Amino acid sequence: MHCATHEPAPILDIMNIRALILLALLAPWLSAFAAPDPQRILAASDAIRNPGQPFSVAVTLTEYQGGKQIDASTLKTYSRAQERGGQFASLVRFVLPARDAGKLMLKNGNDLWFFDPSTKATVRLSPQQRLMGQASNGDVVTVNLAKDYQAALLAEEDVQDGERRVRKSYKLGLKASAPDATYASIELWVDAENDRPLKARFFADSGRLLKTAYYRRFEPQLGADRPTETVIIDGLTPQSVTVMRFSDYAWRPVPDAWLHPDYLPRFQPE
Amino acid sequence: MQPVARPVLNLLLALTVLSPAAARADDTDADALSLTSAPVESTQRATRLFIEGAIGRADQRYQPGWRDLSRVSVDLSGSFTLATDWRAVLSDRLDAMDPADPGADHVVNSLREAYVSWQQGGGATVVDLGRVNLRYGPGYGYNPTDFFRDNTLRTMTTVNPLALRENRLGTFVLRGQRLWGDSAASVALAPKLASRRSDDGLSIDAGATNNRDRALLTFSTRVTERISTQVLVYKESDLPAQVGASATALLADSVVAYAEGSRGREPDLLSRSMALDAPRETRNRFVGGLTFTPIPRLSISGEYQYNGFALDKAGWAAAGATGPAALSAYLLEAQRRQELASRDAWMLYATFKDAGVKNLDATALLRFNAEDHSRLGWLELRYLWPRVDVALQLQQQGGRQASEYAFAPYRRSIQLLAAYHLD
Repeated sequence: MHCATHEPAPILDIMNIRALILLALLAPWLSAFAAPDPQRILAASDAIRNPGQPFSVAVTLTEYQGGKQIDASTLKTYSRAQERGGQFASLVRFVLPARDAGKLMLKNGNDLWFFDPSTKATVRLSPQQRLMGQASNGDVVTVNLAKDYQAALLAEEDVQDGERRVRKSYKLGLKASAPDATYASIELWVDAENDRPLKARFFADSGRLLKTAYYRRFEPQLGADRPTETVIIDGLTPQSVTVMRFSDYAWRPVPDAWLHPDYLPRFQPE
Repeated sequence: MQPVARPVLNLLLALTVLSPAAARADDTDADALSLTSAPVESTQRATRLFIEGAIGRADQRYQPGWRDLSRVSVDLSGSFTLATDWRAVLSDRLDAMDPADPGADHVVNSLREAYVSWQQGGGATVVDLGRVNLRYGPGYGYNPTDFFRDNTLRTMTTVNPLALRENRLGTFVLRGQRLWGDSAASVALAPKLASRRSDDGLSIDAGATNNRDRALLTFSTRVTERISTQVLVYKESDLPAQVGASATALLADSVVAYAEGSRGREPDLLSRSMALDAPRETRNRFVGGLTFTPIPRLSISGEYQYNGFALDKAGWAAAGATGPAALSAYLLEAQRRQELASRDAWMLYATFKDAGVKNLDATALLRFNAEDHSRLGWLELRYLWPRVDVALQLQQQGGRQASEYAFAPYRRSIQLLAAYHLD
């Protein structure tokens, strides 16, 4: 009877086990030298801007031209992540100025609707149509960038944040990966210490700078330190600045019905 | 790279970094970061109230010279929670006009909405009872699927079709709506409450909107993120059921397309205006248009409108030949029913927010009767302060004799409006 022997195999197994143990022991040390995962940083930064459950927040928009205040308005937004795709859908209620009170904007990706209570008309909008002065429709609603953009690490560098302090940051380059992404590309600076978004520059297909945003005044809101102000500087006319203040954060159920255009005439604010 | 080239390149890069442009950008950001938010205001607002006054002059077609126009309006709307899942809605407008509309009082009240509403499941089921403004159709200037539109205007304060809807009366209905997923269905029952409309300016005028039994079924669905549709079936006493459908589509980031149509069997509009017992015919109504937004604050809508029950080219010629009384009755009937008076028509509607100057809004409207080639132009410039609007409106209409827009009592008019918005 021919007896088969497998002597080399146990030796290899022992070597493999030793290698694995060594690798496990060295893993924490090696990871310090591994390149950070840009998509993880982007997702972590999203989680700081956006609460993980349906919520409402009041948004005060203050518009400046050449340093002089030219307008102010107040909105209330109700947002929640959609089951399909995970992107946020938002209902925006206009509060001030008084002539706009009660108007509604529903944004669900590129499905964009506007309801005017005085005419009872629910009108489909194109993404190009802008309702709120200098701020775009996308500026006032919640967006998960990680769902629509692919991130790459461009640099690790010092950057001035919205409170004019120098912070160590990861500079991410975001390329649109979803067909309905608002911007062709974004440069995003994320605090290397705590994943807070610090600054972003938004670009069109042509490469033209559309706007620069600074995230600031981080305060504890709905379980995390979140930016309660965003300063938006127009890319073409940098004298046009919008300061967006977020207040009255609250967990708020956002039923399916609220995200349906046919419901807008029946919407009842709390 | 040549050895000499690298230091030169480094120098150029350094100069770029230190260039005045880069410094200016940093300075601009620093300036912007010194700006602060306006005070945070309460978001609790249950009512809207504004007072509007207008004065103007009109060039009279059938009288010599110009005549003065004036109007004062008070507009109130509000929504109030009665109990969990219950709320009440009230919307009312009072217009004092000089001159009054033909056959109307100088002071006219429009009780636009007064109803109670019950909701369950976060709004998945809604039941309304009372006078409800049910408006359907994506068209700007004409809505064939807006089946509750006739007799809903007690006053004509503007020719702007969007602003006209602000005066519109709702209909007394029992209405239920169910929403699920991407779809919605509703049923509305509107009983007959009076036989004819009231001439009393302060009447709630149930006879204007509920002078026959009516019912409407609707079903709407989101086909894709970019396409939505609605199907409607409408029935009123003494007439066969009508069917209607509408759709909106996002064609590009700056283009929205819309269309709506209905098909019914009824007498033509001229016969109705003359109260003739004319045979019923099956015909269509249709609107199709595009809204183009070339820059974020400018939108231009072009719309084709068709009414198979209205006068065609030969009809306009014949109606003109029968004398002004018949044509006047026809146009008043079209206005009363909010019907298109012409078989074919075109409309251009443009809005330009912050038109060159912050808070200056420009709106322009051009209507063209494709059968008799008469036309109407309307332009508004409106400046917005936080609580006050001031607007200048210009209107001109004309065409050959006995055509739609050349028949109106005024050739042209100018109006100055001021509105004060209260919280």
